[in-house]
Amino acid sequence: MNPPDIRNFSIVAHVDHGKSTLADRILELLGAMGERDRRDQALDTLELERERGITIKSTPVRLVYHRGDRAYVFNLIDTPGHVDFHYEVSRSLAACEGVLLLIDASQGVEAQTIVNAYLALEHDLTIVPVINKIDLPAADPAAAAQQLEEVLGIPAEEALLASGKTGAGVPELLEAIVDRIPPPGGDPSAPAKALIFDSFYDSYQGVVLLVRLLEGSLSPGDRILLMASGKDFELTRVGVFDPKPVPASGLQAGEVGWIAAGIRDIHDAQVGDTVTLLTRPTQQPFPGFEPAQPVVFSGLYPTDSEDYRRLREALERLKLNDAALVFEPETSLALGFGFRCGFLGLLHAEVVQERLEREFDLDLIATAPVVVYRLLLSDGRELYTQNPADFPSRDRIDLIEEPYIRLQVILPGEYVGPVMQLLQERRGQIRNLQYLGRRVELSYEVPFAEIFYDFHDRLKSLTRGYASMDYTQIGYRPGDLAKVDILVNGELVDALAVIAHQDKAYALGRKIVDKMAEVIPRQLFAVPIQAAIGGKILARATVKPYRKDVLAKCYGGDVTRKKKLLEKQKKGKARMKSIGTVEIPQEAFLAVLSQPD
Amino acid sequence: MTPISHLYLHVPFCPTICPYCDFHVVRRQAGWVEAYLKRLLEEAGQLAGLWPLELETIYLGGGTPSFLRDRELAALVEGLRAAVGWAGEVTLEVNPGTVSRARAELWRELGFTRASLGIQSLDDQVLRFLGRTHSSRAAREAASYLRQAGLRLSADLITAVPSQRLEREVASYLELDLEHLSAYSLTVEEGTEFARRGVEVAEEDEREAFYRTEELLAEGGLLRYEISNYARPGAESRHNLGYWTNAFYAALGPSAAGHYPSERPGELAQRRTAATLEGWLRGEGGEVLPVSPAQYASDAAFMGLRLERGIDLRALGGRTGLDLLGSWPQLLRRPLEGGLLELQGGQLRATRDGWWVLNQLVTPLVEWSAG
Repeated sequence: MNPPDIRNFSIVAHVDHGKSTLADRILELLGAMGERDRRDQALDTLELERERGITIKSTPVRLVYHRGDRAYVFNLIDTPGHVDFHYEVSRSLAACEGVLLLIDASQGVEAQTIVNAYLALEHDLTIVPVINKIDLPAADPAAAAQQLEEVLGIPAEEALLASGKTGAGVPELLEAIVDRIPPPGGDPSAPAKALIFDSFYDSYQGVVLLVRLLEGSLSPGDRILLMASGKDFELTRVGVFDPKPVPASGLQAGEVGWIAAGIRDIHDAQVGDTVTLLTRPTQQPFPGFEPAQPVVFSGLYPTDSEDYRRLREALERLKLNDAALVFEPETSLALGFGFRCGFLGLLHAEVVQERLEREFDLDLIATAPVVVYRLLLSDGRELYTQNPADFPSRDRIDLIEEPYIRLQVILPGEYVGPVMQLLQERRGQIRNLQYLGRRVELSYEVPFAEIFYDFHDRLKSLTRGYASMDYTQIGYRPGDLAKVDILVNGELVDALAVIAHQDKAYALGRKIVDKMAEVIPRQLFAVPIQAAIGGKILARATVKPYRKDVLAKCYGGDVTRKKKLLEKQKKGKARMKSIGTVEIPQEAFLAVLSQPD
Repeated sequence: MTPISHLYLHVPFCPTICPYCDFHVVRRQAGWVEAYLKRLLEEAGQLAGLWPLELETIYLGGGTPSFLRDRELAALVEGLRAAVGWAGEVTLEVNPGTVSRARAELWRELGFTRASLGIQSLDDQVLRFLGRTHSSRAAREAASYLRQAGLRLSADLITAVPSQRLEREVASYLELDLEHLSAYSLTVEEGTEFARRGVEVAEEDEREAFYRTEELLAEGGLLRYEISNYARPGAESRHNLGYWTNAFYAALGPSAAGHYPSERPGELAQRRTAATLEGWLRGEGGEVLPVSPAQYASDAAFMGLRLERGIDLRALGGRTGLDLLGSWPQLLRRPLEGGLLELQGGQLRATRDGWWVLNQLVTPLVEWSAG
């Protein structure tokens, strides 16, 4: 295929702005989907993706578009829509020359629209704005186009009008893809240079890499080199997506396709790495490679300790397909044996947990997610850790840093006050406030730890569901952070320590000790539960001792009957963990561990 | 075989059923007492044939044994003497309403040495709340008749009753010049009328009853020797001490439970419970439960930790052939460390705070013996 006849593009949109429906319509028009195997969201192949209406893996599809007697090849690369997969999105976009930026005609520009548009501009892509869902009664395409111009500086008249549902405007859209998105450049005779933008694991072929050829060509039999990992392999097969993977004789500069080389370990060929020829390598790898870096950690424990081995096997299976998933064995006083798992974000964590439960039939307990802190130690060392138990004593820490994000929120003007207050509570610093007609765009820098758990829910409830948000990681910043220890009857319980901002440590400590005192049943003795920073007690609550529990009368005839009563009473006490002389039910740990502040 | 030194005899009849009572009692009906006495004496005759008896104590409890008519009680005593002999301490449970000077003298003549007087309170308001039919005045009179007849006297007191004033109550009891007192704090048992009425005992009242009663009675010379029992030194109930030291005792009467020695392999003892009244009258047997050495040991702890002096783990270990000094301290680590139990020279005892939650403390031992 001649590069001038190729168009590589992606569709980006805020969630629910109709991306999958429009993609389905394009596939249908170009004959890639027969009526028979037509189903909604054709590109989302994981069961979970279809159910949640999200895309986790990038799926490319090759389509042929005829204009007159000329045939164009469209490579449509569907990208993950969620910020957790930000890096995957950026690699997918790097494989394109243009994007269709979808805006819901009834909703207008949303937070994710802005983040996506900026991302496309960063990659120097041509943006084709599409006002979608024009069939809706509430559609206001003119207002949406106006916002496009005001917020993103994209001229309103460039916007195309379409409806993925009715198909209106889609033929014009296909024309615009040909006319506006530039064909790929790249020298077919140069040394091969291909960008990996995704991969999947196939039990026969090993890791299958999804690539965009930037220069040169690749054919079966070539000896390839992965430039970041330094590993080399012999190409066994190459192919394209039609939309199912089909073999081809080779891939050339400008093309999008898949390659297989009997790669067993996904870490040898990560997303973002550059593929070249071992004997004739390209001068420069494609810039911007970053090894997958988990930012959120959480413990996963089987409810039934018998399932520990099965959980390990399941995690190993998932990891074949998911270079971003990391895990290592962990033992918890309360939960037994499990794994500390690292994820790209909360959605990634949820998806992994759900897949483990569904596809591997496991019953899991997940502990509260935490971020990775960066500690500068007084001996000059640097330590990245997510586990409060790994924190050295306070005198050995010079500085604690935490990850920050830039947060974009778009919301109706009347909710600005409460939302700004919420962001202030979450230690956010305002960077920008811009009016978009009756709506406002807020831009904040906020500690990630303050956002990732329940912020979205709080935001939605404060704004009756009208706010949208998106964010990008912006690195580490110092924070006035401290490790809050929990003591039960004077003994430190490592498993319950949490990292908190100084200003919030007291309230958090109070909340934890109160919660524990509430859920731990009465004990033989009064048991103090304390929260402390260093040696300083922040909060204290007491588990009450039992009420009187003794038989007032006990003479001969009662022995057997009364003993039976005791046995019955004891039955409800399974799954207790002892801390010193205190018995704590697993539920008490869970109440604290599975629920951050 | 170890001879049996204690006998309990259950008289199930009551004139009324008290709202807090969960004992096996029935109202008196025509012909039943006659049938009861006949069956009881048959049973007594069989008892002597089955076990070696060397009775030190006999206890007639109920129910209301004093509710039996004079000739009925006399016939019972006569038959009993013939069948199993008599003992040095023989107690009759007595309802204050049934006492007269003449009856008190009759009981003494029949050979009773001790009366346990079911007063429950000397405050009329409390008595009404408890559903007792006697007045405080009747209670005082009854106590005085019994003492004058030469019977050693114990009385019952129920504490932690809503509206009860503990100090005044105890002061009234001390005026009776008792040598023994059983003080129970009110417990609302399932299935009783109090439970149906939703009566609740305040935690504070319960705490005061548990700790303060002891101080008040000690001032009057009655020392606590068991969770609910107080005596002048030397006047402890020998019969009840038999229960608390896990001694063997025989039982007669409907739903009465006995603890008998056993020489069957793997058994140290047997617990036997009689059928309830109708079945028992027809001669039906009750349950027989074998008691293993471990169960014997846990029973001994279950009962013995109720005593101020506790239990001798060495002796109990010797008796059961189990290394209790080796295994129990670990089972009881938390209460021992927390000062709820004390172990000194092989003697294991519960402190006052330990008594407060004794069920919790003995549960691991009950489990240990079951497992």
